[in-house]
Amino acid sequence: MKGRLKVAAALALAAAALTLVACGGDDDEGGAATAATDATTKLSDEQMTLTFLWFEWPPAQALEELGKEYTKERPNVTVKVNTVPNAQWHDAIFTQFAARKTNFDMPILDSQNIGEAVTNGSIVDMTDFVKENIDTSVYDPYFLAAYGQYPQAQTGEANPDAKTYGLPLLGDTWAMIWRKDLMGDEPPATWEDMIAAAKKCQDENPGMSGLAFHQAGSSDAAAVTYNVMNALYGGELWNADDRQIEGVINDDAGKKAMDVLVNDMVPLAPKGSSNWFIDEVNAAISQGQVCVGFQWIAAMGGLLDPKSSELGKTREEILGKLAFAPLPPQETDKVPLGGMGLHISRYIPEEKQAEALNFIKWFQTPEAQKKWAQLGGVPARNDVLQSPEFLEAQPYNQVFTDSVPRLKDFWNLPEYAKLLNVHSTQVNAAISGTQEPDAALDKLAADEQAILDESGE
Amino acid sequence: MADTLESPPTVTAPAPTLEAPAAAKRYGWLTDRWLATLFVSPALALLVFLSIWPLIRLIWLSFTDFSVTRDVPASFIGFENYVDVLTSPVVRERALTTLIFVAGAVALQTVLGFAIAFLISRRTKGRGVLTTLFLIPMMLSPVVVGLFWKFMLDVQFGVVNSFLDSLGLGRVEWLTQQRLALLSLVIVDSWQWTPFIMLIALAGLTAVPKYLYEAAEIDRASEWFKFRRITFPLVWPLLLIAIMFRAIEAFRLFDLVYILTGGGPGGTTETLSYNVYKVAFFGFDTGRAAAYGILMVIIVILAAQVYLRYLDRLKGR
Repeated sequence: MKGRLKVAAALALAAAALTLVACGGDDDEGGAATAATDATTKLSDEQMTLTFLWFEWPPAQALEELGKEYTKERPNVTVKVNTVPNAQWHDAIFTQFAARKTNFDMPILDSQNIGEAVTNGSIVDMTDFVKENIDTSVYDPYFLAAYGQYPQAQTGEANPDAKTYGLPLLGDTWAMIWRKDLMGDEPPATWEDMIAAAKKCQDENPGMSGLAFHQAGSSDAAAVTYNVMNALYGGELWNADDRQIEGVINDDAGKKAMDVLVNDMVPLAPKGSSNWFIDEVNAAISQGQVCVGFQWIAAMGGLLDPKSSELGKTREEILGKLAFAPLPPQETDKVPLGGMGLHISRYIPEEKQAEALNFIKWFQTPEAQKKWAQLGGVPARNDVLQSPEFLEAQPYNQVFTDSVPRLKDFWNLPEYAKLLNVHSTQVNAAISGTQEPDAALDKLAADEQAILDESGE
Repeated sequence: MADTLESPPTVTAPAPTLEAPAAAKRYGWLTDRWLATLFVSPALALLVFLSIWPLIRLIWLSFTDFSVTRDVPASFIGFENYVDVLTSPVVRERALTTLIFVAGAVALQTVLGFAIAFLISRRTKGRGVLTTLFLIPMMLSPVVVGLFWKFMLDVQFGVVNSFLDSLGLGRVEWLTQQRLALLSLVIVDSWQWTPFIMLIALAGLTAVPKYLYEAAEIDRASEWFKFRRITFPLVWPLLLIAIMFRAIEAFRLFDLVYILTGGGPGGTTETLSYNVYKVAFFGFDTGRAAAYGILMVIIVILAAQVYLRYLDRLKGR
């Protein structure tokens, strides 16, 4: 028996030692590569693939298509865009960051995830590169702030002391899409006018619902919907100076916003739509089920496709029924800021970082931005936003240009993922009726305050 | 004259010393015991590498404030993570949801599984084909099952609601109403895993000695008597094992929740496993997630121990 025990123990120790050796590894191998932000770093002539990671939606395919234009400039480089379902977008990127090894070169982060990526040291600091290579005066300062800076300043301002970790890839905001054949050509003047018009349309058209909007408790679906309402009714998500959420988001304006959302808007949405996100809203609009819909502009390409629409056999027929406009104002005229920036993983070799920086430099040129617009992307350069190439590319692109001065973002904090989880879950609880609106909002405020307090930054 | 009863004395030649061939001599050190140990060691190494070492590391991490994404070394914080998890109202809600799901799903699967097995066991023709057909749901990936049930249960586009509508029963919010969403999870999980219970129950039913039924028939026992006094008591211990396996699986349900409801509406179908995932990957609170996971393992071990003792007592009777 003793002999057996000794043998078993020896074997276990050997196996554990083997495991330690295997798991320990060389920290340097998986660690961050030296950031190649020196613009003079020579570009490699070796064949390489520049890999992006994004979530699955039309702009991802558009980016890969645009990559072919880059390959004309750099024939040894192939651009590949890997996609994951939206619900796994954050996990797919950050689990690889956690492993200190990425199979992507350029993660497309949701703008609010920058804080987490920066504090974990996972993305390249581009401050010096941007100073030397990019004319930042062609951008609205809020885009530069929202899509690449950390720490981020207040809404609408760039922080001169902040570092830059990304540059704008895709601008985005909500557009209002309405059935002009049923509701007339003129968009409603205010948000409450819009609700009244949607109700009237619903009453006059049996089988149709008044509204379609994002309600799901996953990702930022319900969260953005509430933030839109909160901003329109003059509320704030938090007080950044005091790091205070409780008492701010659930003040009178916040509660009014939740009340309108739950008691005025949800009853006009189709039955069972409390788990709807991008695809479901598009399907409802395309199938003629709703009078008014709200959608991210970058996700609207399929609405005009006759193959997926029951509103007409041609694009012109569909356009004869659908109209697009920026969100109607209420107490304020704020609209949600969506979109993402281009970032570079710190865990890739120097030559790949250099190539990624070169791609970013190329992408910011007017020619590349116009091509991006033609493929369905939403550029961020002011001159391109005003250009016919962008405005005529899609009938709703003017909505984005008109919305730029009105954009408002979430908090951009390292705790964003945790905050967003609470935000979407609680708003969805109010929408789906599992909690009373006020109670859901108070719980949201309390839970988010606890997250902020715990992080103690 | 020799005494024929006595064996003649034999002179035995000394046994020749056996010499191992040269090849065998090289491996003389490889005794049977060493050989057995060598055969076992790859499996043992795998067990240590994939289960034991990660578990030891997880236990260590559960006492620290480690985050896998932050570049800060882990600090020992004692039982703080365990206290946080055990006193968290969110965890209590998720535990209650999980308990309701486990009880509902396992009960439904047991009743259905046993009933189907009983009916199949009474057939003589086509038993194999029927069993195979019933096993098909179990062979599918839970993610695939979740996806197509999500489409089928959709209020607007789903085939289930289309059917209910055609019968004049109206559309049901299977996935977006609080209680119905949990019921939908129970139904979908039962659709997939009832065959598991059915299979084990069928094995038990076919193992019941036929002479017991024959003896009962001679005594003119009713069907119900035969079921109550012969079939059920003999199958019950096997059924209990199946129930234990299903309960453990149901306790750690994640994939169906992720695909079907996303934990909604309003977090009301979020199970403990789903919540651990959020703690581990939304906030990357690795230490707390480790403590959460260890607590779940402890609960399963304790419950299994109580269960197995009951099983032992049952066998002893």
